[in-house]
Amino acid sequence: MFEFARWLGSTPLSIGIQSISWLTPLLQAIHIVMVGIVFVSVLMIVLRIHGRVRTDEPFIHTWRRFAPWLWSALSVMAFTGLILTIGEPVREATALSFWLKMILIVVAVVSVLGLRRAVAGIAGPTIPAGTRHAAKLVLLVWITIVFLGRAIAYDVEVWRSLSLVHHT
Amino acid sequence: MSVPAFVQAIYDSGVAEWMRQSLKAMPFVESAHVLAIATVFGTILIVDLRLLGWAGAHRPFSVVSREMLPKTWVAFAAAVVTGALMFAPNAITYYGNTAFRLKMLALVLAGLNMAVFHLLTARSPNWEDNAHPPAPGRVAAVLSIALWITIIFLGRWIGFTKGYDFSVPEDVQFDFAQ
Repeated sequence: MFEFARWLGSTPLSIGIQSISWLTPLLQAIHIVMVGIVFVSVLMIVLRIHGRVRTDEPFIHTWRRFAPWLWSALSVMAFTGLILTIGEPVREATALSFWLKMILIVVAVVSVLGLRRAVAGIAGPTIPAGTRHAAKLVLLVWITIVFLGRAIAYDVEVWRSLSLVHHT
Repeated sequence: MSVPAFVQAIYDSGVAEWMRQSLKAMPFVESAHVLAIATVFGTILIVDLRLLGWAGAHRPFSVVSREMLPKTWVAFAAAVVTGALMFAPNAITYYGNTAFRLKMLALVLAGLNMAVFHLLTARSPNWEDNAHPPAPGRVAAVLSIALWITIIFLGRWIGFTKGYDFSVPEDVQFDFAQ
């Protein structure tokens, strides 16, 4: 994997990305704007499950309002994230935070879809406590992803000897 | 006290010294700052899109606004606290950084835009149930979205332009720019 990252870093595409000084901050800024849309979309879905917002409409309306924004912004993030990774492949591949983040993104997407299924299966207007607790957990996963994203820049400080920097 | 003296006092404060010494604090404070600004932007975007009639237009504006803005303020308070914790250890450099100054200016403009909207535009009667509010409301919404995106961009630009003005402990890769 580290070999692949080193090779990727030496490709013309990667070198091209590295050579444009404003590209990385631009992509990171777009990435953070999208965090706003993704995180608040999930927050609204979770708060609706808790009956804290949009109680004047059924859950499915809240889902239909925010799910398209969630998936669209997440797609943009996948793209900006991919270009950023191609631009700095060794930094990403040697960061434990990066790999944990990738795993948690899969968990987060599957679990938010799971929430949607769970709530759709409920007959009455009250959402059971188990589903509400699960919703909190899903939100926590998304929050952890934001922290891991920032922690990529501080892998040694955060993870000390666990950082993959020591295993290259 | 002059502004540079005030900035120096922040730089010399115990909190600033603690942030400089603690290597683990910065990533956590920065992450919390990203989460806070993301929540500010996302919640304001919901209100602004409603104001434009582009999303959630079937719900009255005041309902959307009352639902979202308390969350915006909590997140904004968190952004101010975490922002101050990032500013303090590197205060003198931040103070002289153009992106930082422009970000503060954009924050003031976003605040003024919000104040004008709530004190003047939103006071005019009988429009808030409309899917498409009158022009001043829509202008405020566009300005708000543009200013908050600008604030996020400038925030990221600070990290790439400022450097740092204190010595880093030995053996530590401490790169704020990343």
